[in-house]
Amino acid sequence: MDYYGTRLATCSSDRSVKIFDVRNGGQILIADLRGHEGPVWQVAWAHPMYGNILASCSYDRKVIIWREENGTWEKSHEHAGHDSSVNSVCWAPHDYGLILACGSSDGAISLLTYTGEGQWEVKKINNAHTIGCNAVSWAPAVVPGSLIDQPSGQKPNYIKRFASGGCDNLIKLWKEEEDGQWKEEQKLEAHSDWVRDVAWAPSIGLPTSTIASCSQDGRVFIWTCDDASGNTWSPKLLHKFNDVVWHVSWSITANILAVSGGDNKVHTHSPHHSHLPR
Amino acid sequence: MEELDGEPAVTVIPGVNSKKNQMCFDWGPGEMLVCETSFSKKEKSEMVPSCPFIYIIRKDVDVYSQILRKLFNESHGIFLGLQRIDEELTGKSRKSQLVRVSKNYRSVIRACMEEMHQVAIAAKDPASGRQFSSQVSILSAMELIWNLCEILFIEVAPAGHLLLHLLDWVRLHVCEVDSLSADVLGSENPSNHDSFWNLPGNTQTLTELELKWQHWHEECERYLQDSTFATNPHLESLLKIMLGDEAALLEQKELLSNWYHFLVTRLLYSNPTVKPIDLHYYAQSSLDLFLGGESSPEPLDNILLAAFEFDIHQVIKECSIALSNWWFVAHLTDLLDHCKLLQSHNLYFGSNMREFLLLEYASGLFAHPSLWQLGVDYFDYCPKLGRVSLELHIERIPLNTEQKALKVLRICEQRQMTEQVRSICKILAMKAVRNNRLGSALSWSIRAKDAAFATLVSDRFLRDYCERGCFSDLDLIDNLGPAMMLSDRLTFLGKYREFHRMYGEKRFADAASLLLSLMTSGIAPRSFWMTLLTDALPLLEQKQVIFSAEQTYELMQCLEDLTSRRPVRGESDIQQLQDEDIETTKVEMLRLALARNLARAIIREGSLEGS
Repeated sequence: MDYYGTRLATCSSDRSVKIFDVRNGGQILIADLRGHEGPVWQVAWAHPMYGNILASCSYDRKVIIWREENGTWEKSHEHAGHDSSVNSVCWAPHDYGLILACGSSDGAISLLTYTGEGQWEVKKINNAHTIGCNAVSWAPAVVPGSLIDQPSGQKPNYIKRFASGGCDNLIKLWKEEEDGQWKEEQKLEAHSDWVRDVAWAPSIGLPTSTIASCSQDGRVFIWTCDDASGNTWSPKLLHKFNDVVWHVSWSITANILAVSGGDNKVHTHSPHHSHLPR
Repeated sequence: MEELDGEPAVTVIPGVNSKKNQMCFDWGPGEMLVCETSFSKKEKSEMVPSCPFIYIIRKDVDVYSQILRKLFNESHGIFLGLQRIDEELTGKSRKSQLVRVSKNYRSVIRACMEEMHQVAIAAKDPASGRQFSSQVSILSAMELIWNLCEILFIEVAPAGHLLLHLLDWVRLHVCEVDSLSADVLGSENPSNHDSFWNLPGNTQTLTELELKWQHWHEECERYLQDSTFATNPHLESLLKIMLGDEAALLEQKELLSNWYHFLVTRLLYSNPTVKPIDLHYYAQSSLDLFLGGESSPEPLDNILLAAFEFDIHQVIKECSIALSNWWFVAHLTDLLDHCKLLQSHNLYFGSNMREFLLLEYASGLFAHPSLWQLGVDYFDYCPKLGRVSLELHIERIPLNTEQKALKVLRICEQRQMTEQVRSICKILAMKAVRNNRLGSALSWSIRAKDAAFATLVSDRFLRDYCERGCFSDLDLIDNLGPAMMLSDRLTFLGKYREFHRMYGEKRFADAASLLLSLMTSGIAPRSFWMTLLTDALPLLEQKQVIFSAEQTYELMQCLEDLTSRRPVRGESDIQQLQDEDIETTKVEMLRLALARNLARAIIREGSLEGS
């Protein structure tokens, strides 16, 4: 769903990406975007300050960025830098600019940064996960040090981070170094089968960071890091399901985690208030 | 590893066959969308094109009810008033204020109930009539619970007064729901006990009351023992009732609508000076006796019992489970917190019960297109997580009208939420550019202090000028003031416009200096220099000499600079050749005009004044 909850983008194995207007409980098809040659795995909306932009990734190894101009949706850019299916796309926090992370079955993660005038710069992390990468999720933007009003034109120095989950059963945390290169910062091990999805929780101003992960092994873990202590992440098992868990996602204030799994149900969980009714 | 999750509640979505098909979902700002997919592990998925339904799952649907909206609006006012009660106030005056607040809340619930009741009666179809009626019952239950909490926790009625309050409580709720005028047990006694208690302005002490009552009770017992009324079984059973005989009371069960009516009546006759701490014993046994093992307690019963046991946390917990939205628990808990009754119950985040409930309630309000404004105030009074929750929610409000955008911005600016202000202004600036409203885009990017965007918009303005020969949004550009400094391009735009103004006012010398300085200072983008030089032409052609010799030299320098940097063109097509032709002609004209001006300037400056 887009930022305001007014539009919904869906993707399908029929290779199409559809956009619906869902205001006031309605469902009106606005656009049917064709361009992929294989099943489309995921779509992601960019922040509205960049306009109406949607990214989609597919089995056809491509990532397509669609843009709405004058009421019509068109293909704005195509990225074909992967050798196999691209499984996941995720836009970075808007504070960093317009940056898209893509995870692929070829094991690589590519980062597309919009540099203006229709140009996109590509950085690739090869062999991020052996066998393949299934999910990418950005950490919320946190400004280091004091937040003095920066003189216009200068961007504050954000520490950009994201998490990825792969077929090597691992979750990896990546950090951008000062030279612009991405380095593997942490490896989180707890799953015994392919990690299907990772979701970094939105920041609510507390010093802890939280990541949810789910896997083919049926487990959902919640990882927390107390930033004061540095880089120790500790997992807590949320639940073990009897089947593969495909998707985890946080509500916008991070108070509810939704999980969908092979049991064909969607579970919601309030990890912080397990003793209060939900 | 130990699991965190307990037994989850199940929400069934009508129309979705969860045995067959996988569901997918996504979060919206306030709700979740769920959709059935064709993916199924057991069967081979049919490649049938279908447009399955998308289900919207919302927690707080009550936000959309017209009548409840009044409840939300008015309680919001009461909430604010409560937060502003002077913390210094203590003792009796504080208590009376808090009681007043509680009564205000209750009157709002009653008003809402009344209105909904009217609607229920007037409803055209029985289904919606039933729905409204059930809402009325829920509101009535809420008021019942709140009232009891007021008596026990806020008023903190001591023994003696306690029963009086409970009597009022029962009378209020039982008699109105039943509207039975023949409530023998209720109405028979007012005369008896009114005079007995001597209300109001009761000056008897508790002991005096107890003694009086004991005396009366013994007298009744004696009548029973003496079988004074043996001939009249009705009078005898009445006597038994007045002695608080439970069995006798229960015989009149049809007249007692529920167990708490039974409880209060029983207390009236067996222990009117009951102490608050003893209440729970009577409550539990009354419930058990009344239900008589035939039925089990309902959620409402459990809530009331918890209240009689003075277990505030249990009351809140049960209410949270039983009710469909957070309104009730949020406001009641907040009030009880002001009465300093809640223990600092630290939850995982370090926030407390009151804050948690208020946050949930306020988040629900944000789902509504206009009630979100109420939510803002609630977040303001959540000291730990209110601000960040507000930041997260306020950015997601769709800014469909300028008015709404301005409202949201004002709220952010008042709270120094600079990030949100910037983000929202950027979004609006973007939208304006896409709709070709450059003036609007410019003012939004100035408000956002976004230099890059201001540059972009200024470029568009300049391009427009080149194409059309005039500026749009002159007012805005003329009144930029210090905002002009935001970006170089913007400064140029402002100054360029100033140049035009000066020319229009025939302040040629000033205009000339300005024009020149735009180029020499580097503020003007190189791509625009040709236009600027062309603008200089009319000044060069004037009868009087405007540009001084030195200025002319500088202009010539600029022209040479510009022409020398022209890239060498290879094979060019007709259009390019034509353009080049025009360019060359222009340059020639300029060179001529500059040369002529130089000559005149030198002469003028060389001559003596007045000669």
